[in-house]
Amino acid sequence: MQRKHITGLICLAVALVIMVITGRNFLSLKDLGTIVPGPGVTEKKMLSAYFDGIEGTNMDTEVYVMEGSSPGGKVLILGGTHGNEPSGYMSAITFIENATVESGTVYVIPYTNHSGMTHNDPQEASPQYIHFPTENGVRTFRYGSRASNPIDQWPDPDVYVHAASGQQLSGSETRNINRAYPGRPDGTPTEQAAYAIAELVRSEDINLTFDLHEASPEYPVINATVSHEKGMSVAAEGVMELQLKGIAMSLEPSPTNLHGLTHRELGDYTNTIPLLMESANASQGRLRGATNEALALTGIDKAYVKSEALGFLYVPYDEKGHPIEERVGRHLQGIIEYTKAYSAQYADAPVTFTGVPTYDELFLSADEADLGGVQLGKYLH
Amino acid sequence: MITLIYRGIVAIVVFFIIKNIFQEEKLTLQANATLVIIPLILRFLMIK
Amino acid sequence: MSIELIIFLAMIVTFIAGCFALKLPVSISMVFAAVIGAIVGGYGFPLRHLVEGMFSYVDTVLVITTAMIFMKVVQESGALDALSALIIQKFRKKPALLLCLIMLVIMFPGMITGSSTAAVLSAGSIMAPILIIMGIPVVETACIIAMGGLLGMIAPPVNIPAMIIGGGIDIPFVGFEGPLVLLTFPLAFLFVLMFGYKYVKHFDYDAIAPKLNRNSIETHGIKIFIPIFVALILMVINKAVPSIPNLGMPLIFLISAVVGAFTGEKFSPVKVCTESVKSVLPVLGILMGVGMFIQIMTLTGVRGFIVTTCLSLPAGLRYLAMAVAIPLFGAVSSYGSASVLGVPFLLAFLSSNQIITASAISLIASLGDMMPPTALAGIFAAQVVGMDSYTPILKRFIVPSIIIVVWAIGFIVLSNSIAPYIVFK
Repeated sequence: MQRKHITGLICLAVALVIMVITGRNFLSLKDLGTIVPGPGVTEKKMLSAYFDGIEGTNMDTEVYVMEGSSPGGKVLILGGTHGNEPSGYMSAITFIENATVESGTVYVIPYTNHSGMTHNDPQEASPQYIHFPTENGVRTFRYGSRASNPIDQWPDPDVYVHAASGQQLSGSETRNINRAYPGRPDGTPTEQAAYAIAELVRSEDINLTFDLHEASPEYPVINATVSHEKGMSVAAEGVMELQLKGIAMSLEPSPTNLHGLTHRELGDYTNTIPLLMESANASQGRLRGATNEALALTGIDKAYVKSEALGFLYVPYDEKGHPIEERVGRHLQGIIEYTKAYSAQYADAPVTFTGVPTYDELFLSADEADLGGVQLGKYLH
Repeated sequence: MITLIYRGIVAIVVFFIIKNIFQEEKLTLQANATLVIIPLILRFLMIK
Repeated sequence: MSIELIIFLAMIVTFIAGCFALKLPVSISMVFAAVIGAIVGGYGFPLRHLVEGMFSYVDTVLVITTAMIFMKVVQESGALDALSALIIQKFRKKPALLLCLIMLVIMFPGMITGSSTAAVLSAGSIMAPILIIMGIPVVETACIIAMGGLLGMIAPPVNIPAMIIGGGIDIPFVGFEGPLVLLTFPLAFLFVLMFGYKYVKHFDYDAIAPKLNRNSIETHGIKIFIPIFVALILMVINKAVPSIPNLGMPLIFLISAVVGAFTGEKFSPVKVCTESVKSVLPVLGILMGVGMFIQIMTLTGVRGFIVTTCLSLPAGLRYLAMAVAIPLFGAVSSYGSASVLGVPFLLAFLSSNQIITASAISLIASLGDMMPPTALAGIFAAQVVGMDSYTPILKRFIVPSIIIVVWAIGFIVLSNSIAPYIVFK
């Protein structure tokens, strides 16, 4: 055997070891951990119940049904549209584990793009997990990606053409479920998942839909609620209540020329009122410093403090960062206030619930040392 | 279907890179080629 | 000195030491630099990050490899010689027009795919012999091809950097055609004449006619061009009829290469693939190294440090910072630069018209494809004309690069006043 063959074999052996170690790690990310249903959960089903095209795929995801004792309207909460926006799915999970619905029904999908939760984007150096100490030990959740996993949908086209509008976006947006609505039954896996959600909204006749997001602090639409035009009166009343509670929240109309998003397409293609909320997440920003779990949970980042001083940010930023409790608190308080406003304006189909931790409980009244995971952990079971 | 075709393309590329590894005389160039097959094989196997 | 700066310096020093002191390949030096960066940053040996970073370029690896296979097939089958003879014969009386036409042909695959590599390796390699036969020196020929690749990537209808930059602040890719046409085509004609006209103005067809190789076209006739037409049709058809699924560049190149095996001179497919892979492996390795490098920069906060440092300059200097930083970061990839720096700069110039600004930044980002060590357009242009090193191409690119940057900044500065005339939504 020649020398080059021996060194070649050694190279392949090294590659094999690297592939086995990292491959096992990448495969383990499919385990999203467990959600402990709270007292209000009356049924758990899969999204494929509404469109069987996604059954058995990595796009299928859990739907938690929380039916109240009195009849009323129907609310849908979408968490985890983007897996790298942790307050979105952590708010949905906190709702599932704590809320009791009195009238009407609330449907919660904690991981809207289930596939996106099962991988991380290259070059983003995202943490793989976030941890919360709870009364029953440490709970572990995934930190995912903005887009579906390429192993579920690959390759991307050069250009993504949104089917319903013809709008063109960069090819990687093909796997972004919030550019795929209203979805297509015969489309890509991501479009199929979007279609399944639209089907849920249509078949359950959902009145009010929340899509929970985060944005980088330098992104202009932040600490904001984006509403379809038909939701403006509900959203305006909710925003006033939020501001009275000390939560800075702006109200943005859904742009009519930006397609594929919940606040545009679910509004246009179904009867629901879609609202999308954004909070500030440093771990997805382009100006961020070191990327790790602490950044995702605390938002403490000297790079963003510097950017704030330079005037590049659309949210205030100081050494205290924006802890996960503040961000989840904003979302949950938003859900509380907008649902109240909806129930007041549509009194024939009210939705009421109790037990959801408020912004005050999660953030304002919390011990500062508990922010960044411990305080939220008190509400996880 | 398109995914299967692309996995096939990856397999072809990996085959020729491995062939190159055994033809290359210099260790550093062999290492260079080895680097490239790692993500390609993980994608071919649909692990990442 | 901040920790991020220390990490960055450690990475750069390791990279330079690897390349020059230890004479390692660029890719391996980048791997070492990434590992050292992670260690200095206190992250140990983060194997998962190193491997994950490489995945940014899986698709690019396939495009480059299949494009090279296609190029070699077109060469071996004799289609290249045949096409050169045909085009030169038809346009021999109008050399300036011929040059501009050749430039458009080189740009075309870039316009359709948004990839400069695709343009350089497909149309660039097909046009190179024509330029050389016409008397343009190899270095200038490589410059024309590389420039065609860059401007083709930016010219409409498909401009991936602009889509990435726009996508970063949720502007759909609508209304970009006008600014992109004005940003690219005048420069394309200017540069092709700048590089080539003085060599072709006294073009003597009769002198070079005997050099043209007509054997293949005489033997195989028009069918020798079929692989080129197949590639062309497959690239365009999905744009014209969106209901036909997008095959993607790698598949298009492979299908065309397979067709080429039956339409001209006989050749060994295994040999063609072996040679193609061998010739692209250095670049593929660099892309892997770059993937690791960026991932570690992101992990340790060096990436954010670079972005905030660029943005923190006073408003006037910010244009300069953009002109330097975006191409420089493009050393790792022009798409990466568009995302990492293009989006923050677009936000910094938010008072300007966003469509024109995003278009202009994408033009500056295209220069990243000429920035060592990746310099995809430069490396492949050199390979196409048979040069050993692409350094002479880079030297001749200095003046055109400055023109590109000035042209782009001019558009940004004047964006609000010219927007009503060039942005149509």
